Amino acid sequence: MPSIRQGARRAGAVATLACLALLGAACSSGTKVSTATTGVTINVTLAIPAPPKASLAAFTKATGITVNWTNIDWDSLQTKIAAASTAKTYFADATDVDWSRVGQLGKLGWFYPMENYLDTKSLTADMPQLSSFTTGGHVVGIPYDASFLVTTVNKQQFGKAGIAAMPTTIDQYTQDLKQIKAKGVVQYPLDIPFAAAEGLSTYWYQTTAAFGGSILDPQGKPQFTSPSSAGYRAAQWMITALQQGLVPPGNINVTDSQGQQSLMAHGQVASVFGDYSGNVGSLYDVPSSSTVANQVTYLATPGISGPGPNLSNPDGVGIPRTAKYPAAAAKFIQWFTSAANQADFAGLNGPAKALSSYNMPSRLTAVSELNSKGNLIGGSQLATILKSSARPVFPGGAPPWYPQFSNAVYTNLHSAATGSQSVASAMKAIAATANQLANGG
Amino acid sequence: MSSSRLAATPVAAADTAPPAGGPLPRRRRRVDLLPYLLVAPLAIFIIGLALVPAGFTVIESFFRVDDVDPPTRFIGLGNFHRLLTDPTVQTAAVNTLVYVLIGVALSTVLGIVMAVTLQHKFLGRSVLIAILILPWALPGVVEGIVWSGIWDANTGLLNSVLSSLHLIDHYHVFLGQHRLLTIALIELVQVWQITPLSALLVLASLQNIPGDLYEAARLDGCSAWAAFRRVTLPLARPGIAVAMVQAVIATLNVFDQPFVLNGAARTASSVMVQTYFISFQNLDFGEGYALSLLITLVTLVLSYGVVKAVYRPVEF
Amino acid sequence: MTTRTHRRIRARWFGVAFILLWSLVPIYWTINTSLQTEAQAGSKPAHYVPPTPTMKNYTSLLGGSGGIPSQIRQSALNIVIECCAATIVTVVLSTLAAYAFARMSFRGRNVLFYAVLATMAFPAYTTLIPLYRIMSDFGLVNTYTGIVLVYVSGFLPLATWIMHNYMTGLPLAIEEAGLVDGASRMQILRYVMLPLALPGIISTAIITFLFSWTQFLFPLVLSTDLSTEPLTVVVQALQGQHIVPTTLLSAAGVIAIVVPAVIGLTLNRYIVNGLLAGSVK
Repeated sequence: MPSIRQGARRAGAVATLACLALLGAACSSGTKVSTATTGVTINVTLAIPAPPKASLAAFTKATGITVNWTNIDWDSLQTKIAAASTAKTYFADATDVDWSRVGQLGKLGWFYPMENYLDTKSLTADMPQLSSFTTGGHVVGIPYDASFLVTTVNKQQFGKAGIAAMPTTIDQYTQDLKQIKAKGVVQYPLDIPFAAAEGLSTYWYQTTAAFGGSILDPQGKPQFTSPSSAGYRAAQWMITALQQGLVPPGNINVTDSQGQQSLMAHGQVASVFGDYSGNVGSLYDVPSSSTVANQVTYLATPGISGPGPNLSNPDGVGIPRTAKYPAAAAKFIQWFTSAANQADFAGLNGPAKALSSYNMPSRLTAVSELNSKGNLIGGSQLATILKSSARPVFPGGAPPWYPQFSNAVYTNLHSAATGSQSVASAMKAIAATANQLANGG
Repeated sequence: MSSSRLAATPVAAADTAPPAGGPLPRRRRRVDLLPYLLVAPLAIFIIGLALVPAGFTVIESFFRVDDVDPPTRFIGLGNFHRLLTDPTVQTAAVNTLVYVLIGVALSTVLGIVMAVTLQHKFLGRSVLIAILILPWALPGVVEGIVWSGIWDANTGLLNSVLSSLHLIDHYHVFLGQHRLLTIALIELVQVWQITPLSALLVLASLQNIPGDLYEAARLDGCSAWAAFRRVTLPLARPGIAVAMVQAVIATLNVFDQPFVLNGAARTASSVMVQTYFISFQNLDFGEGYALSLLITLVTLVLSYGVVKAVYRPVEF
Repeated sequence: MTTRTHRRIRARWFGVAFILLWSLVPIYWTINTSLQTEAQAGSKPAHYVPPTPTMKNYTSLLGGSGGIPSQIRQSALNIVIECCAATIVTVVLSTLAAYAFARMSFRGRNVLFYAVLATMAFPAYTTLIPLYRIMSDFGLVNTYTGIVLVYVSGFLPLATWIMHNYMTGLPLAIEEAGLVDGASRMQILRYVMLPLALPGIISTAIITFLFSWTQFLFPLVLSTDLSTEPLTVVVQALQGQHIVPTTLLSAAGVIAIVVPAVIGLTLNRYIVNGLLAGSVK
């Protein structure tokens, strides 16, 4: 049967060719793989801005590889990766590998195994989050940014409400937020991104971890169906916070999720429970985009009986199978994720070398170097949290069906938040999806 | 997406006679090559870049086409079965029905109001027509920016106006809270885009109505409203039918507006949004193809029904 | 009698006011936001006119040499090239085909004509992936040619339909006179039909251009970097990036609508005629 369809496609292709001839258009070359690593131009497409021109120029000078950088928003980028890989066509030499897609990508084989190009074994020690990018013994991508989830609090607003000691447990944290609301410091003290998007899923994973549990067991079985489970209680806590007026009601809306961090930056909320590490330095302390400079600090995530774990949320870069210059792309990735560059991007050597929206080096050596020079804002806290309690969302790696699972998570939590279903039925629906996916349905 | 706009008008074709016969005499008995040469480029484009891809879609909707679950294999109606039993698709289908009802009703009524306003000549009429078609000419991407500035919960125009008028005591969240309200507000954005075409189509019908019919109605003692009901509406039926068909096509395929203003939330997700997620997030292309095939069939059936119900040939 | 006329005039002014508010308020609001600072745009109640109009958002989008200005400039150039090329090819091919459909009889005419029109009923998503595969088979992904080919295939049916309706409405007498004089049919097309059909051709061209300008999903997938990305894709990417202020976003939106808005306001006569020729028959 596939041959018939291929035949049909050929027929279509012939027709297209004829029309091209009519237009006098020349066909350019298709995808040709080259092992060249000098004198070539590679396309790098990531959801972050390009590094400073000078540093890319230095890379070109050292290697003879010119980098053509494309910054595109994350969701559009995933569409592009899917379309190009499905059609088996070239679109970039190096592109985004999200931790949550690792399982899916591993099964699809859309990316070259990185261990063929880099000595990934020796990287493991310096890059703890590499394990999140390993599936079936293959490294799909190299983490370039080791951001993880962490709680941020506006100390000044907590102080205004008469809270001096920062909370270490969830109960205390909830109590403090209620006090901030009651004292009228801010109307809605807690920021939870309730829009039906990946951010809501991530927040629930983090809250579940804080309640001392996990989402799926290593076999992919849901762990949140019983009302006493951590996942169930986490969801209940989030929904209750919304119902009690601790969370801005506008957070339900997708257009506001883009501004979830800007609420914090404008002093409209006092705390983000599952914030991104690096936001204090890259956003809240930047006067041009924030009115709360020097008021916000990181907090080890409050847990059941003391600080809980923090989930890692790293970003990786890999080489798609359709790349034209995989070897050159590997050189670029090696350079891009080197300790020296990461320290530069994070601002160790001044803003001219920094990469805006870069959160956290994935190499421990870069983190400790930054920390020792005092150039990482909140660095000592972050370094401690990173070493002691940051852990992957799925210890067994993200399952291949993760995107569908996450869609079920955020759409069901969202509809529970709008009151169109109960927490119990949301948990049931998410679990049903997980079971169905795990059984290959 | 664009297709809904591209397809804005053609269904009227189904209702018209085949292209006019060739009135020019052929001078030779041999096979006349010229017409084939003239249509060849068009035919190649349509076959190669429209019919062949559409053919894949029809064929592959009966296959399991999923890179996560290879190989590609024939599964008969399996994709359709999974779609019809999927609760998210069912919710999206209900939402889409509401989009269609609101969108077709509103764009038709507003289109008639605008067309009647423009029916007779007056100073500045052509300027007004230019302004009328403006929303139709704008890219959908920008529409999202434009309308989120109006519905926004913190800085939106609607909140500001309502609270300045003391109709609300605090800023409200309009989108995402209440299902019907969310769908209605999102559909209003699409109505903004498609109503200009409806108005023009109805206006074209109105221009054909002879003025003496209104004169006769007036002599019979008809009020303006009665004249509108007895003369304008019945005689504008062809234009209204075409306007409703273009609205049916556009609203059944609604994607841009819910995707930008509602995202993935089930509250107001449309069938086209589900198609996007099934194809590009779940990478289940077979199921995505099947769903778009279903939408196409529903579009054709519903358009045909509207033409049957509303269209009446008008003779003057 | 006079009260009735008065009432009718009052009803008309109500209608006029409604059309003006309906069409212009949302666009005005975007322009209004784009001329404010971020702090002003966030105030409650909102400023209905910019308190201190600033062009800062526009200069930071268009001027300078930073990343965003160069993206906007390059993508504006891309969209103009792609829209113009798609328009020219569409108009030429649809005029040739419409002449054959309108004035000649040949085998398979009706089948082909209806097949062309039927392709308009298919949702765009259905053909996206197969089209993408065909394009990549020929190495046309991320080329102007590839994007233009896809646009043309999408807009040809409507263009052909408009041109066909326009040509069947033209009188036969002049052509017949030309044939009697011994002119070939191509000469008749060139010297008789084209001048007569010029308004229809202009309508088709403008409508095709505007449709090309609104495209988003196809160029998103078919262009992979700034060498071919049109303005709409770049503006959408700005929207997707975190923490782009609404004021800047509004300015980007205004930049993306200037060309279609000017065309709509100045050439609306042709648009109206074309759309009507393409629908009511």
